[in-house]
Amino acid sequence: MSSNNKTVTVNFGPVHPAAHGVLRLLLDLDGEVVERADPHIGLLHRGTEKLIEQKTYLQAIPYFDRLDYVSPMNQEHAFALAIEKLLEVDVPERGQFIRVLFAEIGRLLSHLLNVTTTAMDVGAMTPITWGFDEREKLLDFYEEVSGSRFHAAYFRAGGVHQDLPDGLLDKIYDFCQTFPKVIDDIENMLTENRIFKQRNVDIGKISKEDAADYGFSGFVLRACGVPWDLRKSQPYDTYDKLDFKIPVGVNGDCYDRYLCQMDEMRESTKIMLQCIEKMPGGEVINRDSKIAAPKRAEMKTSMEAIIHHFKFFTEGFHVPSGEIYTAVEAPKGEFGVYLISDGSSRPYRCKIRAPGFAHLQAFDLLSKGHLLADVPAILGSIAIVFGEVDR
Amino acid sequence: MAVNSQIEEIADPELEKLKELYADKGFLVTNINNLINWARTGSLHWMTFGLACCAVEMMHVGTPRYDVERFGAAPRASPRHSDVLIVAGTLTNKMAPALRKAYDQMPEPRYVISMGSCANGGGYYHYSYSVVRGCDKVIPVDIYVPGCPPTAEALLYGLLQLQKKIRREGNIKR
Amino acid sequence: MPDILENILSTIKENCKINDGFIKFEQIQITINPEELISTLEFLKDNDICQFRQLTDIAGVDFPERLNRFDIVYHFLSFKNNVRIRVKTEISENSAIQSITQLFPAANWFEREAFDMYGIQFTDHPDLRRILTDYGFEGYPLRKDFPLTGNVEVRYDEIEKKVIYEPVKLQQDYRNFDIQSPWEGTKYTEKKDTE
Repeated sequence: MSSNNKTVTVNFGPVHPAAHGVLRLLLDLDGEVVERADPHIGLLHRGTEKLIEQKTYLQAIPYFDRLDYVSPMNQEHAFALAIEKLLEVDVPERGQFIRVLFAEIGRLLSHLLNVTTTAMDVGAMTPITWGFDEREKLLDFYEEVSGSRFHAAYFRAGGVHQDLPDGLLDKIYDFCQTFPKVIDDIENMLTENRIFKQRNVDIGKISKEDAADYGFSGFVLRACGVPWDLRKSQPYDTYDKLDFKIPVGVNGDCYDRYLCQMDEMRESTKIMLQCIEKMPGGEVINRDSKIAAPKRAEMKTSMEAIIHHFKFFTEGFHVPSGEIYTAVEAPKGEFGVYLISDGSSRPYRCKIRAPGFAHLQAFDLLSKGHLLADVPAILGSIAIVFGEVDR
Repeated sequence: MAVNSQIEEIADPELEKLKELYADKGFLVTNINNLINWARTGSLHWMTFGLACCAVEMMHVGTPRYDVERFGAAPRASPRHSDVLIVAGTLTNKMAPALRKAYDQMPEPRYVISMGSCANGGGYYHYSYSVVRGCDKVIPVDIYVPGCPPTAEALLYGLLQLQKKIRREGNIKR
Repeated sequence: MPDILENILSTIKENCKINDGFIKFEQIQITINPEELISTLEFLKDNDICQFRQLTDIAGVDFPERLNRFDIVYHFLSFKNNVRIRVKTEISENSAIQSITQLFPAANWFEREAFDMYGIQFTDHPDLRRILTDYGFEGYPLRKDFPLTGNVEVRYDEIEKKVIYEPVKLQQDYRNFDIQSPWEGTKYTEKKDTE
């Protein structure tokens, strides 16, 4: 058998419990060893970019929720920032703090899902129950502030849609007090676990240079040892006023990526507590320029406000022509939006740069020489969500 | 003796006499309809066909807060082991043959729940060039759960509706 | 921050043949001809002052009324200088452009996507085939003359027992409202001027 050089092509099909969505992976196997991996994506290609070109800026915001659907608001953040830069408007401070708070909640949502489902793929069945219960609490916060558990359409150009309800900050504060214990529980279960370590250490190893060359970003790049985080190097909203650390790994294997995610969850909790303390009062969206809808009470009494309301929701606001590339530190990596505007109220071209696209591209490099059983572990560690890869 | 209190007893005097005769001797008397319904609705193993955002809500329905396992439903990875196929998410043209193959591999009796507006009728992506406008163009659907995404509670309600539908329909022919 | 950008832009202007270069919204943008692509990108990657190590994104844009219909836009990131740059080239419908996968391995799938969505051909690409659209898809979706709903749709046929393709038939067409208001007299449409 060892002298027989025939490789078998196996279809790690689109319908697979460990494929994290719809991925068709063609593996050339020599026995159990992966010689070549060819990911076929596009099974969730819904034509988001073409649809965005037909809608106004306000109508295009929900498309961004549905890209990385485990942490919806982070994608809206990138789009809102892109529009604000083209319009050259400011966001009031309260709006900025709320955005940072919910972006960090999104980071917790994403890392909780990723770590616990990867653990389930390699065999640990319990962390998913703990992790998802915490996710339910976070989705309750999303629901309180926007009305929907998942796709919130909350971040708008100029700030956020509406103010936080009373008592929400206290609830988030209580959550932040109890959450570190859950991370401790999950870590106790997994970090020093012999089986987990055997399945993750030295698996999917990639060097610093290869990682930078292949377009990696986010915690996957940091696990290789490159200390690059957009929240620190190109800060947006109020990240420059907050005090937090960035976990950086050493080896660049699956285990380091897991450790980076766990540490990032702790740092996110710290950021959330700081946001709650520092939250100022005031407006949450820039109502001076005509990019925000007028308040409802005002709309019912003033004539000018009702005309604004009508024009805002039918035609939408006009964005001056220009182009811009904005990137945010989404939980999975660098999520970028390249927006070209032609001066009308519809985007001319909106290109979405998803972190998972670049990570999955290097999958062949990551999994060469590994066994078939390592493929789910590697797939899980690079945090692929097909909504954003396929768009 | 009806196991599920929602099922109405067929008040047949013959049946009543049989029940009285055997009840205290350790026997359970019921009619085949009720028995098959109890078995089918009480253990709906669903195949995880999570495509997009609704898949995450589908995962949430199995987790401790909404816990669907207390209704007997459990996720199974293979279509050959499952009773229900929950199509959760947008079905694209590229994915349609795979969905049909998975459905064909399920053994009878099989049911389909279409979850979310993308699976119901194309949803938010109805006008796109690469989306199938509703998974019922490819497979026959029993229950449609609306929402974008439907909350985990709504999916749970949809599952209970499916149970009602199974009880309502005759099961000897199915 | 602005002086690093000025510095880099002047270095690029001295050493490479570029058509246009400016800084806007704190981002550098240069426009080059397709023939200069490889030499310019080599310079951007290797030069000590620039050091644009990572390719972030490749996008295609369609301007159907122009002669050189497509715009290919490359975004690069320099870790050392913490600077982004945008490199644009124009290309017409039937010509091909050199692939940059030798220099930047990350370009592989991004170029495949540009090919899939627009039909832009890349020479010397290791594996140029469709990536996002369906296996037998005809047409290039993101071009402005491709209809939003596409040309074919899918359904399962009971007689042939397989999934078939047939022409699109919508229950209700996409309602594209003509949003340019007939009441041009009001000031509210002219938002670009008031700020």
